[in-house]
Amino acid sequence: MLRVTDFLRPEFCIMDLKADNKEQAIKELTQVLESSGKIKDKNDFVKHVMERERLGSTGIGNRVAIPHAPTQSVDGIVVAFGRSRGGLDFQSLDGQEVNLIFLIGTTPDDLAVYLKLLASLSRLLTNRQFREEFMMAGSSQDLFGILRKFEHD
Amino acid sequence: MIKNILLSVSGSAETIVAAKYAICLSRLLQANLIAVFVIDTKVLSELLKTRIFVEAEARSYEQDLEQQGGMILERIKKMAESKQVPCETSLLRGAISDEVIRTAHELPADILVLGELREIASRAETFIDEGERIFRKSPCPVIISKNPAMVEALYKEIA
Repeated sequence: MLRVTDFLRPEFCIMDLKADNKEQAIKELTQVLESSGKIKDKNDFVKHVMERERLGSTGIGNRVAIPHAPTQSVDGIVVAFGRSRGGLDFQSLDGQEVNLIFLIGTTPDDLAVYLKLLASLSRLLTNRQFREEFMMAGSSQDLFGILRKFEHD
Repeated sequence: MIKNILLSVSGSAETIVAAKYAICLSRLLQANLIAVFVIDTKVLSELLKTRIFVEAEARSYEQDLEQQGGMILERIKKMAESKQVPCETSLLRGAISDEVIRTAHELPADILVLGELREIASRAETFIDEGERIFRKSPCPVIISKNPAMVEALYKEIA
């Protein structure tokens, strides 16, 4: 089983997103991923993620969204996290606004690993206590503590 | 007598090392080599169920995995043939550990070769990680390939 902490870094976490819509949030998260050196083409990456959103919202309910896309515009697998205090409209199936957003990208070559990572994240996010603690975290270091605690449970 | 060596591959760097080791073993033991790649439809179903994927997306990923699996198996077959080791390949669908274990029973496999297992963080993970599950449920001895440099040297030694 893959762990989210194998891919997410504290510097790729935004505790208070400034964005007030889905596309802005994806752009804001892509911006922080640029420092990873794994984003080869920022605009192309955002374009692919938004194209995927048009197939159907990645707002999976419980105030969580996992926008994602395989694309050649990233190198390997990239993960960023952003929290929106006020909530964003992601056209989620449950109709609720989204507070927790995990942005994930991969090169098509890493597809098998990417699927396992998405599955690991999905399992974590079904845990209500995990979501609540993530929502209350004070810093990105706290987020990591919470991730590690639940991943190692 | 060791007749069948089963190799489970995923295309990671670790499984290519495992493939080289399995080829060496097959050659030295004069055993049949059977390489399997499993398209993880279990994880695709899980991601559909949790609504992270939409139908069209899951189908597209399944096709991509099928293509990648085919390419990896073809690569291993050529690697084996370059060492005069005949290699059967099989592209399967389902849960990775279930399919590998089922194949090991059906052959029956005398040895199962896997790539190096990843570090396990918790006891719970030992029940979820596919490599761990294969290792624990295998009906035959399991060899975990390690030390890529040693394997590479052995692989090169075999003409």
